[in-house]
Amino acid sequence: MSFRLRKFFRPNQKAAEKSGHTTEPLNSSLQKNLDALNNRTGYSSDIIIRKLEIEDNKKTKVAIIFVEGIVDSRSINDFLVHSLVSDGDLQDKQADQSVLDTIADKVVSVGIVNRIHDWKKLYESLMSGHTIILVDGMEQGLATSTKGGEKRSIEEPPTEISIRGPREGFTENIRTNTALVRRRIKNPDVRVKSMTIGQVTNTNVEIMYIEGIANKKIIQEVCDRLERIDIDSILESGYIEELIEDEPVSPFPTIHFTERPDVVSGNILEGRVAIFVNGTPFVLHAPSLFVQFFQSVDDYYSRAYIGSSLRFLRIMVFLISLYAPATYVAATTFHQEMIPTQLLIVLSAQREAVPFPAVVEAFIMEITFEILREAGIRMPKAVGQTVSIVGALVIGQAAVQAGIVSPAMVIIVAITAIASFTTPSYSMAIAARLIRFFLMVLAASFGFYGLILSFIVIIVHLCSLRSFGIPYMSPLAPFIPADFGDSIIRLPWWRDKKRPKLIGTNNTVRVGGNQEPGPPDSRDMKKKTRKGD
Amino acid sequence: MKANRLCTLVVFISTAFLSGCWSNQELPDLALVSAIGIDKTEDGQYMNTVQVINPGNVAGESRQGTGGTESPPVSTYMEKGNNMVQIQRQVSKKVSRRLYYAHTNLLVIGEKLVREEGLKNIFDALERDNEFRTNATVVIAQESTASELVKTLTPIDQVPAEKIVNTLKVTERMWGENLNVAIRDVLPDLVSSGKEPVISCFSMYGDAATGETLESIQETKPKARMMASGLGVFKDGKLVDIVQGDMSKGVIWALDEIKSTLVSVDWKEKQEAVVYEVIRQKTDVGAEVNKDGKGKITIDISVEGDIGETAVPISLKNPSILYDVEDKVEKKIKDNIQSSVKKAQDLQTDIFGFGDAIHQSNPKVWKEWEKEWDDVYFPELEINVTVDAFIRRTGLRNEPFLSSID
Repeated sequence: MSFRLRKFFRPNQKAAEKSGHTTEPLNSSLQKNLDALNNRTGYSSDIIIRKLEIEDNKKTKVAIIFVEGIVDSRSINDFLVHSLVSDGDLQDKQADQSVLDTIADKVVSVGIVNRIHDWKKLYESLMSGHTIILVDGMEQGLATSTKGGEKRSIEEPPTEISIRGPREGFTENIRTNTALVRRRIKNPDVRVKSMTIGQVTNTNVEIMYIEGIANKKIIQEVCDRLERIDIDSILESGYIEELIEDEPVSPFPTIHFTERPDVVSGNILEGRVAIFVNGTPFVLHAPSLFVQFFQSVDDYYSRAYIGSSLRFLRIMVFLISLYAPATYVAATTFHQEMIPTQLLIVLSAQREAVPFPAVVEAFIMEITFEILREAGIRMPKAVGQTVSIVGALVIGQAAVQAGIVSPAMVIIVAITAIASFTTPSYSMAIAARLIRFFLMVLAASFGFYGLILSFIVIIVHLCSLRSFGIPYMSPLAPFIPADFGDSIIRLPWWRDKKRPKLIGTNNTVRVGGNQEPGPPDSRDMKKKTRKGD
Repeated sequence: MKANRLCTLVVFISTAFLSGCWSNQELPDLALVSAIGIDKTEDGQYMNTVQVINPGNVAGESRQGTGGTESPPVSTYMEKGNNMVQIQRQVSKKVSRRLYYAHTNLLVIGEKLVREEGLKNIFDALERDNEFRTNATVVIAQESTASELVKTLTPIDQVPAEKIVNTLKVTERMWGENLNVAIRDVLPDLVSSGKEPVISCFSMYGDAATGETLESIQETKPKARMMASGLGVFKDGKLVDIVQGDMSKGVIWALDEIKSTLVSVDWKEKQEAVVYEVIRQKTDVGAEVNKDGKGKITIDISVEGDIGETAVPISLKNPSILYDVEDKVEKKIKDNIQSSVKKAQDLQTDIFGFGDAIHQSNPKVWKEWEKEWDDVYFPELEINVTVDAFIRRTGLRNEPFLSSID
């Protein structure tokens, strides 16, 4: 939402608070209440007010108020309207109770029923899909949970594909999302805390952690940071991420996000805190470490050697995606002596006809590639083919044949592009994209000297980062041997027995003794006796 | 406050970039020098020939693509002058690009220059320059000028410098009459009084003038060819002799540089009938000074090899025959080495580094001998060669098929 709009909304709201609309208690007259409601909502057409008369001795007037579209109309019809209107025995049931209590206790057959005393609570409930029941002559109302409406079904997460592993992905509905995690961890220690953020949007934000595993200080820190957010709107978890991260100016992300419930489960089991935001399938979890951005779910589901080697490969490839064009530029413009003679002859034959310096050539190709990539994401799927053809022909062939770029540069850009797709985390890959251009400038002005300097600066910067108090580069720096088992390598479960030391402070042991499997001692499958059995 | 700090940071960072692209050089601005040839002219000046690679003609798409007139993979430029650096700078009048010496892997020196003046005056510039690599191979142009060698085009290896270096490397491993000597191997020998350098020679045969043209390499048998010939022996930095054939092989045996070679021995009346292929060897040189004040050098060689060929019907299953062959091989190698050492003693130049061996075993004696080592003490050395040959395998056949014929 734009800045101006925010300014426009906030004083307005304050004025509303002053005039007493929000925190003021409800009136006893139903008509007055409804008038006030209509004034506040400006007779919005999607706010439905249904007036009823119930069959008690006084023929009490009752109003049912809900927002069409975000409620489940079937449950309103069946469990509210139908029960209220056709329940002839209301008088008998009523006994000495008030009408409202009778309705709440004996008539309404809906899961959650809350009492409402003031306008603020009323609007909150109404806007989040509850149905409000107001009774004439009562200074309070009822909010019944009838949340519903259209929502996307659970699909395979498009941004995090795995070869082996569950195919479920989060949806836009926060309750579905928390349920997906609950279904995986059937334990009462899984705690969910809810809060509302966003002055205008009143977005539901929930944090989830496992009591007894998560570090209490980190939970407190997450809550504190979320509570101090003062913004008009939260439309995606990116808003939250930007408002609570440790190092807002760093290109490296300090909060990891995922679309997969199994990733969130794994993370809260290690003692992290997950932050769910209503309206987005992306769930944040904190604290996040550098190595975490190179871990994919497949590492955990495939055998340990394969998982470890792939992780190692990803980090190597990340360095390629950072340094490949810069190294090429530095080597061909400063350090020709470092290139093997035969290769240098080939390179200089290719560069012979190219009119630009190597760095300009590199920039042309890199920027062209970024344009193509951006176009590829924004484009309607139907015209996707066109861009790939144009890209392949223009960059791959025509540019080389026209002598504008050298084939070697095309190879470098291609390998860089492919390398940048191997990083599982999009936010980390995009950081590399950004830094790459700075490195190219450094390479073009200082050669390898500049590259080594930049490498040192990047390492120092990474080591200075913290995510919710946890050093970003741990377990590498500070070096924690016990945590190394699940970092750039992954030890098998029977070897990697501890949770990350700094994150799951309370409760670190996760695997019991003697878990290493092996063949039986004899052919008749006699059980192997090991130490400690 | 924060803005101030940011400004300062920006200023600091931008000062770093003020130098611009210092010492940046684009590939198309460089002329890759593959070989340098140095000759002496009649008037006593140096004549340098630089071989510059035309990358487009060596590699890349353009070679097949253009289809126009084919041009040579290298061009050569010649320049005269009194010192190396002057010549190098003067060439810029003729070349459109900066000469880039980091990939030069061959230095050719004319025979006339090394015989008359020696190596000492030309190496300083090459060693001092930060671009030129001292691991470049150095060869002597035997009976021709360096410029002829550098100008000659070669088939297979498109860059002639590569041809010379690769030929040396291959023949060093296969035949053992030549050594691939780098400039940095020569320099310590020039300085040391206990060892003199040896440098391989290359010679031209055929018509040197047509070697410069593309037509030369368009034939199956080029009109001008180059081959590794002998081994140049130096004394006080000057070439004194070029040894060839078994004589140079003996030198390389004694230097412990044989990687693999052949030893052909006679069997009864038939000359060079049994061929022994050396697969590995180790040469140890020991030095001592006798009580009578004469130096004594012991050369111990242990050789391992296979039987490569027998032109006579002998049974290789018979151990006594194998012992016979081993004895003959040992004797042949021993003769080889002894005649080479004799030759060096006649030339009064210690190319084997026996002086260094004495230096290590008897440092005190060496101090007295050092001054007159080559002229007085080296020729009087007593040389003792022992060879231990061993036949590891006899190939795929024990009984030569010749024995069935008879």
